[in-house]
Amino acid sequence: MSKKYIGKAVKKVDAQAKVNGEAEYTEDLINEFSDLLHMRVLRAPHPHAYLKDIDISEALEVPGVVAVFTKADFPKLSEFGLIIKDQPVLVGKGEKMRFLGDAIALVVAENDAAALRGREKIKLDIEELEIVEDPLQAMEKGCIQIHEDHDIEVTHYLNKDMCCDNILSDNYIDRGDVEKGFAEADHIIEREYKTQFVEQLPLQVEKGIADYDNENEEIIIWAASQWIHDTQADIAQAMGVPKEKIRLKQPVIGGAFGKKEDISVHIHLALAARELKRPVVLLYNREESMIAQSKRHPQIIKHKTGVTREGKLTAWETEMIMDTGAYASSGPAVVRNAMFHCSGPYQVENVRAVCYAVYTNNTYCGAMRGFGATQMGFSYDNHMDVIATELDFDPFEFRLKNAFAIGSKTPGGEELNHGVNVKETIEAVHEASNWQEGDKDD
Amino acid sequence: MFGFGYGEGFPDHSIASLEPIDNDKILIRTSAADVGQGVKTVAVQIASEVLKLAPEHFVLSEGDTHITQNAGSTSATRQTYFTGHAVKEAAEDLLGNIYHYASQEFVTNHPEMGTKEGRVFSHVDPDQEMTIWQLRDKLADEGIELKGRGTFFPKTFKPDPETGQAEKVYVGYTFHSQVVEVAVDTITGEVTVEKAYSAVDIGQAINPQAVEGQIEGGTAQGLGMALMEEQIIEKGRTLNPDMSRYLVPTAVDTPEVETILIENEDNDGPFGAKGVGEPAMIATAPAIINAIHDAIGVRFYELPVTPEKIKEALANKEQ
Repeated sequence: MSKKYIGKAVKKVDAQAKVNGEAEYTEDLINEFSDLLHMRVLRAPHPHAYLKDIDISEALEVPGVVAVFTKADFPKLSEFGLIIKDQPVLVGKGEKMRFLGDAIALVVAENDAAALRGREKIKLDIEELEIVEDPLQAMEKGCIQIHEDHDIEVTHYLNKDMCCDNILSDNYIDRGDVEKGFAEADHIIEREYKTQFVEQLPLQVEKGIADYDNENEEIIIWAASQWIHDTQADIAQAMGVPKEKIRLKQPVIGGAFGKKEDISVHIHLALAARELKRPVVLLYNREESMIAQSKRHPQIIKHKTGVTREGKLTAWETEMIMDTGAYASSGPAVVRNAMFHCSGPYQVENVRAVCYAVYTNNTYCGAMRGFGATQMGFSYDNHMDVIATELDFDPFEFRLKNAFAIGSKTPGGEELNHGVNVKETIEAVHEASNWQEGDKDD
Repeated sequence: MFGFGYGEGFPDHSIASLEPIDNDKILIRTSAADVGQGVKTVAVQIASEVLKLAPEHFVLSEGDTHITQNAGSTSATRQTYFTGHAVKEAAEDLLGNIYHYASQEFVTNHPEMGTKEGRVFSHVDPDQEMTIWQLRDKLADEGIELKGRGTFFPKTFKPDPETGQAEKVYVGYTFHSQVVEVAVDTITGEVTVEKAYSAVDIGQAINPQAVEGQIEGGTAQGLGMALMEEQIIEKGRTLNPDMSRYLVPTAVDTPEVETILIENEDNDGPFGAKGVGEPAMIATAPAIINAIHDAIGVRFYELPVTPEKIKEALANKEQ
């Protein structure tokens, strides 16, 4: 039956308000508060160090500064995180900072300039530790442990011989018999691929306002979140308050791309609003957003692939090591998502994969468009092209020959029985682009 | 390729509800975050289709933990599928309730009834008709609330930890193939992506223009990852934490994208739809790297492929 509204280019329902300026983003709400306080966050001066001492006395004397909060003000705070609760709301005396985004103090003032001046007056005494710069260093035996004083729940550790100190999670695929697959192959092609830290770069950086409702003893937070109910639950557990006492209201969001899955301004604002019984605003700048919030995980990916002289894939082996940075965030899920896409939309009988997420002292990594599968996609389709070049196969024919069809199995062993039109997409771009081998303008 | 939904056995669901408000509007309650991708528009189009009521009659609640229920995250390319399903079920529930209560008013049965543009009527007696909002008022007098509620909560399967094998890993897969044309300036090392051709296995585009928008944005973001974007972190410190040193593509860097939608309506999503947000981006970086190889005969294994790396590779090749 024909459809009236589905499949039609209906105007985006929020387009007009965004174009004419009526859409209310977090910053637009500032004018609705007459007694708004401004917050600035003091962050770690070193990516791996113990906080020995903190002196806020001079900061408190700065005119306009209303309060300076440290961990000592909230002894019952719990850590937060999307999957594993391993990230401190505030690093306290005697505790460890693990990357430059870790928060140490919250300065709240009548205006932003006073909050900035107050933040400059805080004195820290730290004990510097060795910095773990990359996951290969982190996996070496004897490497300093990043979360050693900190009991975190890890996700697997099936390989007992491995040095697990900095490994957040290890994950495996074992399907068919890769050794048999390599034995059946006429060619075995092995390559290593690397990806970088990528910033999601939504136009709108992290911003929020919190207020305290005295009557209901409820904290109200206006801040973007890709999942308000999850953010609400994480704030409540970190603060040790019932969920219904945390109310999240979603202003119009200025882009996210995965970066707004993590907690950012939320808990800091909630604590200050509750303590001061006044509305508080916290606006990150770009630098703070890039340093303190998640990145796309860099991955080191090795593919070893067996292929017959006719161009049929017989075995696919992948090893991937992923820098998850200082905290877990979405890491345990990103590493698995990457793994389950290890050979892409290509049918291979025999697949083996091992994929690690590893802590370092880099800015933590989290969700970004593609969630691990983007990095893996770069590697597997580059690898398919490497194979086609090495063995002189037509790149389209080679992909078509191995592409998923009804009845194919994914690396995770799922049999695809509908919605599998890979070959049609390959044929469609072949035709649209008038592809001809060796078609070059000089 | 992208398997969408959380997958891997993680519970995944969305709840939505619909209720008539004012004298000509239907409120859709969902907490699904619209980050610009257009889930609000998708929700309206689906509710419009089910209720045969034009999009301008729908309004959306703002996300609020105290007035909307859980819709899950805007991630994993899942909102069209999950919240789309929840809204469809809520709209069908509302439609069912409209028929149920109106049939009592009309003393008729569902097969003899119809609904269009906010009116519910009897085919048997054309005088018997009322608007959804009139029906709501009548029911309110009797203490009955006219609304519809929908929850979509499919079974998910946890993979075996040692082999990674599961009956089903993701709720569905979106496939996207892309061909790009690049020009490489062998003197400056600059790569220009001149044209991109995309074909996406989308099942059914709820809004084809929005799907094309996702493909175009994803292509731009994939181009950035392939050729310019990198947050450089040394000894834990970011060396380029601003947009003057962290380069991203602008409109002039972004190619024209010709998008072909493969719509076989063969997926389990609402009206056969698949999600597109993430698969929109994945094809671009490998396509560009492969095109660079085709153009200059150099294969790159590390991203991003900056002009410096191209110049260095060409110099090494000449030696």
